[in-house]
Amino acid sequence: MTELTDIVNETIRREIEEYIERPDEVERNVELFARIRPLMQEISAALIEGDDGTVDRLTKQALDEDIDALEIMDDGLIAGMGIVGIKFRDNFIFVPEVLACARAMKAGMTYIEPILSASGVKPLATVVMGTVKGDLHDIGKNLCIMMLRGSGFSVVDLGVDTSDDEFIDAVEEHKAPILGMSALLTTTMPNMGKTIEAFIDADLREDVKIMVGGAPVTQEFADDMGADAYGKDALDCVAVAKGFVSVQA
Amino acid sequence: MKLDAVGGGELIVIGENIHTTRALRRKGRSIVDNNGVESVAYTDTSGVQRHLPIPEFFKERQEYQQGQVKHVMIAVNAAMSGGNQSAEAMTYLRQLVDKQVGVKADFLDLNVDEISWKLEEQKAAIAWLVTTIQEMTELPLSIDSSNVDVIATGLAAYDSTRARPLLNSASLERIEALDLAKEYNARVVVTAAGQSGMPSGVDERVQNASRMVDAALGKGFALRDLFVDPLVFPASVDKVFGRHCLDAIREIRKKYGAEIHITGGVSNASFGIPGRKLINEVFLILAVEAGADGGIIDPVLSNPAEVFGMDRSSDAYQMAEDVILGRDEFCQKYISAWRKSEVGEAR
Repeated sequence: MTELTDIVNETIRREIEEYIERPDEVERNVELFARIRPLMQEISAALIEGDDGTVDRLTKQALDEDIDALEIMDDGLIAGMGIVGIKFRDNFIFVPEVLACARAMKAGMTYIEPILSASGVKPLATVVMGTVKGDLHDIGKNLCIMMLRGSGFSVVDLGVDTSDDEFIDAVEEHKAPILGMSALLTTTMPNMGKTIEAFIDADLREDVKIMVGGAPVTQEFADDMGADAYGKDALDCVAVAKGFVSVQA
Repeated sequence: MKLDAVGGGELIVIGENIHTTRALRRKGRSIVDNNGVESVAYTDTSGVQRHLPIPEFFKERQEYQQGQVKHVMIAVNAAMSGGNQSAEAMTYLRQLVDKQVGVKADFLDLNVDEISWKLEEQKAAIAWLVTTIQEMTELPLSIDSSNVDVIATGLAAYDSTRARPLLNSASLERIEALDLAKEYNARVVVTAAGQSGMPSGVDERVQNASRMVDAALGKGFALRDLFVDPLVFPASVDKVFGRHCLDAIREIRKKYGAEIHITGGVSNASFGIPGRKLINEVFLILAVEAGADGGIIDPVLSNPAEVFGMDRSSDAYQMAEDVILGRDEFCQKYISAWRKSEVGEAR
């Protein structure tokens, strides 16, 4: 069995030991980080610390050493962001710290993205995102979009106060397999259900996975509305989207 | 009365403690085991320790499972239902009123939006709550909802022989709320929200707010009936947000003079970061310095009489000011100080 001590990088070892509480998550992360090369562990560690300068430098170094761009993204950037997500979910770190990690992720993705798209690697999936009709709040939705983009999704942002038709047109135009809706107000939350009905009426419901979120939204409400999933925060939103396209979160 | 005073320099407190969004941490010291019943511990108006039980229906909700106890929602629900906890719940609501009265709140803001996502249930709750709270205090109420129908129901239930209520809020996306305020002789909060989106900077805030102020003046409101809310956004999300709001306050004060009121939902400033109380209080100080004369605040947690006596040369004050003015990138210094318990309450 793989042990924590099989991980070379001290920062990663400490992060797993101090902040990851669920046994299955410890096991998964120990196996992951013990498997990947030390340089990828270093990139992850720098990302977890929100150190964009180091992520920038190490990503370039990795590419110079002919390490595959996809490996750098998966083992360096996304693996690190996985730990960030767990720490945020369990209240060890806060919104601005996640934003610092996202900036570090972006520093790496700036090199990775053009290489991937030039070599024909497609984004994980296209996600259409918008705040529902009657609701002008977009801070949470924008955090979700930033995290989705940082994790390899292509995102179409419809902004706020989005009508059923705008959601439907965007999903059709971009052939998006995923739709995300956000609402901050209890008074606009029911519009999620109305939009989902509009997808049913347009005979498009089967073509798209629908996730919903926002401060007053709950799993129960999401179920009532007929959504496929609920995300409790920006990082959960990424996990849900990955679940839709069957990628390990 | 300071509401009618011109440039009196006194803070107009809109107390936000009777909001169904209010939450206590399950792990916090207010949530206790009372003879085997998980309860919210509180002291009633006469200083007696009491317990509001957390009902079973709430324990099945996601908020509870994620560690939050929505105590005001629980109290409103229990008091309205008339069940066996309704007397306790009424005592709970009464102390929320009395404690805000005790620290000289000017309005009590009532918001029941999270009682349910069903409009009819929200309307029933606001009507009940307005009537109930008016039986407990002479203070004017601020009727707060994101839905104009809910506000209308609350105003209709308001005993208008009392001091004028406050409508919270009208904005370009629902300008018809001004007519509602007129109909009920209410003062009104006008926000800087746009017709189809939130303002992105200082100019847009001032333009949106000005359009609302001008529309209100056109309908016969006096400047002193208006409370401009330039919209406070979280400093944790973007370092420019604090300055945008404060600069907008300065411009609105300059533009409309001393009579108009300027307020705002101060606690939004600290969303997403720990040590929120200090950030909120420093934001209030800076807002008042910029020209605001009020705030939508928790006056029991942050008593204005004490807030303005804060030592502004202290490290804690400086760190909070740096967060608000965008000088502490990603709030790193502040959060690190909080972890060492140098600012605010420890984890």
